[in-house]
Amino acid sequence: MSLQGVEQPRRRKIRILIAKVGLDGHDVGARVVARGLLDAGMEVIYTGLRRTTEEVVRAALEEDVDWIGVSILSGSHRVLLPKLRQLLDEAGAQDIRILAGGIIPQEDIPELQAQGVSAVFLSGTPITEIVDYLVKETRHG
Amino acid sequence: MNILKPPEAFSANSSSQTDIAAESERWRGNTFAAAAEGKKDRKKFVTDVGIAVEPLYTPADLERNGFDYQRDLGFPGEYPFTRGDRAGMNRTDPFVVSAYSGFGEAQVCNQRFKKLIEIGTEQILVALDLPTQCGYDSDHEMAAAEVGNVGVAIDTLADVEIMFEGIRADSIKRIGTLGNSIGPIVLALWAALGEKQGVAWDRYTVNLQNDPLKEYIARGTQILPPEPAAKLASDAVAWCIEHAPNWSPMTVCVNHINAGGAGSSMGTAIALANVRHYVDILLRQGYSIDQVAPLLHMFPDERHDFFISVANLRALRRIWARMMKEHYGATKAEAMALKTTVYGHGQEALAEPLNNIPRTAFGTLAYVLGGASYVYLAGYDEAVSTPNENSARVALRTLQILANEHGFTDTIDPLGGSYFVETLTAQVEKQILDGLAQIDEIGGALNAISSGFARRAMTEGAVRRQRAIESGDRPWVTVNMWPQKPDVPNTAFRGDAKAEERQLARLAQVKAERDQVRVKAALAEVDRATAENRNVTPAVLEAVRAYATVGEIVEIWRKRFGAFVPSTDF
Repeated sequence: MSLQGVEQPRRRKIRILIAKVGLDGHDVGARVVARGLLDAGMEVIYTGLRRTTEEVVRAALEEDVDWIGVSILSGSHRVLLPKLRQLLDEAGAQDIRILAGGIIPQEDIPELQAQGVSAVFLSGTPITEIVDYLVKETRHG
Repeated sequence: MNILKPPEAFSANSSSQTDIAAESERWRGNTFAAAAEGKKDRKKFVTDVGIAVEPLYTPADLERNGFDYQRDLGFPGEYPFTRGDRAGMNRTDPFVVSAYSGFGEAQVCNQRFKKLIEIGTEQILVALDLPTQCGYDSDHEMAAAEVGNVGVAIDTLADVEIMFEGIRADSIKRIGTLGNSIGPIVLALWAALGEKQGVAWDRYTVNLQNDPLKEYIARGTQILPPEPAAKLASDAVAWCIEHAPNWSPMTVCVNHINAGGAGSSMGTAIALANVRHYVDILLRQGYSIDQVAPLLHMFPDERHDFFISVANLRALRRIWARMMKEHYGATKAEAMALKTTVYGHGQEALAEPLNNIPRTAFGTLAYVLGGASYVYLAGYDEAVSTPNENSARVALRTLQILANEHGFTDTIDPLGGSYFVETLTAQVEKQILDGLAQIDEIGGALNAISSGFARRAMTEGAVRRQRAIESGDRPWVTVNMWPQKPDVPNTAFRGDAKAEERQLARLAQVKAERDQVRVKAALAEVDRATAENRNVTPAVLEAVRAYATVGEIVEIWRKRFGAFVPSTDF
């Protein structure tokens, strides 16, 4: 806020919630991505392990994030990701977008995208690729 | 000159170590430097654990490290067990060919297990699904979409009975499961299986991972706070000391800690600190180190650098022997000789998954040459699915080839005495002991978890690995050399859609048909044993016999101890 009381157009930093949903305990990838995005100048919040989709939505709303990055390696993506999208939409958070990462079959990706997942980054994706995507795709009002 | 007789200057012991040191310097500075001149290093010659690798090792390196054959190596099956935990090692009894298997429901597993045994599997560890590992029954809301996904669902003893129908507990060398956060329950399930099959406990061997502490650091199936979790795990060991001293009820793991980023040396240090925590609990209960140590195994891990892997196994056996003898005062050889379980990996890639067959074979060869006792091998498609029948067969055959072909198992500790490997063994040993000293300084295993020490080691290491791959410092074929798109097939995790329904129906049926009065009384006794800080295993065994569910037993502990709170640090 400016001392003169003049509204300054200010681009805020990209805010992202990195989330683990379901019982999958493999969170190294999630933490490495979180660290990489932080190093790239973004504001990053991590949910910790084993969250329900409801808890993730609540955290995303409280933290006012632009993105939720969900890491899934246990094969539950086809159930959990659409459910997450649905809960966000029901909460009026259509503007919060979902990224998925981890082990997800290529064949499932178009279906996930049709169900409101913006992009899928498989294990091994260079962090720079994710950073570039977020910088390009984030819409700031 | 008689060319059949080597000239004097080449005969053994003719040159002093100092001459060799000076000659090595000369060779490095002149001959090698000339060959390397103008050539850019192909890669960064630094191992994942941070040890720099030289172009050549000589006796001078052994001398620099104060190498003493008798003190540092000795003989296989003898203190300090560097060269092997058993006298005969692979020469007399090749490593145990093992499979980690399980998916969907018990009936399907039973068929797979029979197949695995038919083609030569000597030990089966059952992969459990995440709800079971986290102490939720298949009908719990947390289990939705996860039943039978990454392993088999076990709700009650009925599932274990189906899984081993027609497979007697004593028909293979060892059976068991991981059960890290539900140790006494899985121990009871496998003990009750023997009773059902009429096989006495001393006729078969149950192996469990039952190492909850590393779950908080790396693997993520923790249920309770660490302290009560470690006590419950120790209860399973104490019960075996009393009733089944031939079983191996605890395998303390480096595996997940290293894979998560800590590196094999720090991972080994953290695992050894965990060992000390479990051992100290049991000693406080009045057991002796000679009773406790033989029942504990370790699960070392190194999947980036072949020779570090060999060195790690050798260094670990030496450290264990010294720790048990000098720190704990063990007197029995079985207490000082560390048995190791390993699971062969080798920097597997998602792209072109068949290449993971040679990768995992090389990774596993290092374990075999390092003298591992029980050997598993990852399916080439393991990162993307529970191994299918074909990849499970390839993994098993690879182990059989390692055990029987090429002469890999003919000579004990075949790399012992290598200037390179002995130097690495000394360096890795020092790294492990330094790590252990750091953990001691912050107050031991529980503090390594609560202070975030272990977690930091993991994340920092994982970030370092990611950077080494992105920069090309660590070559990785199809990833940063000849890069290819990752390939995750649609078969990944596609279980039988009806399996969950059938599992829920079976659980409902078992719950309806069991003796409710007996279940209620047994669960009440589990609660009393827990509250009175007694060994819970006898009460859990009675509950399991009565077909109490895994979730019902765990719920008692959740109420008594509270649930763990996941860390949001990264």
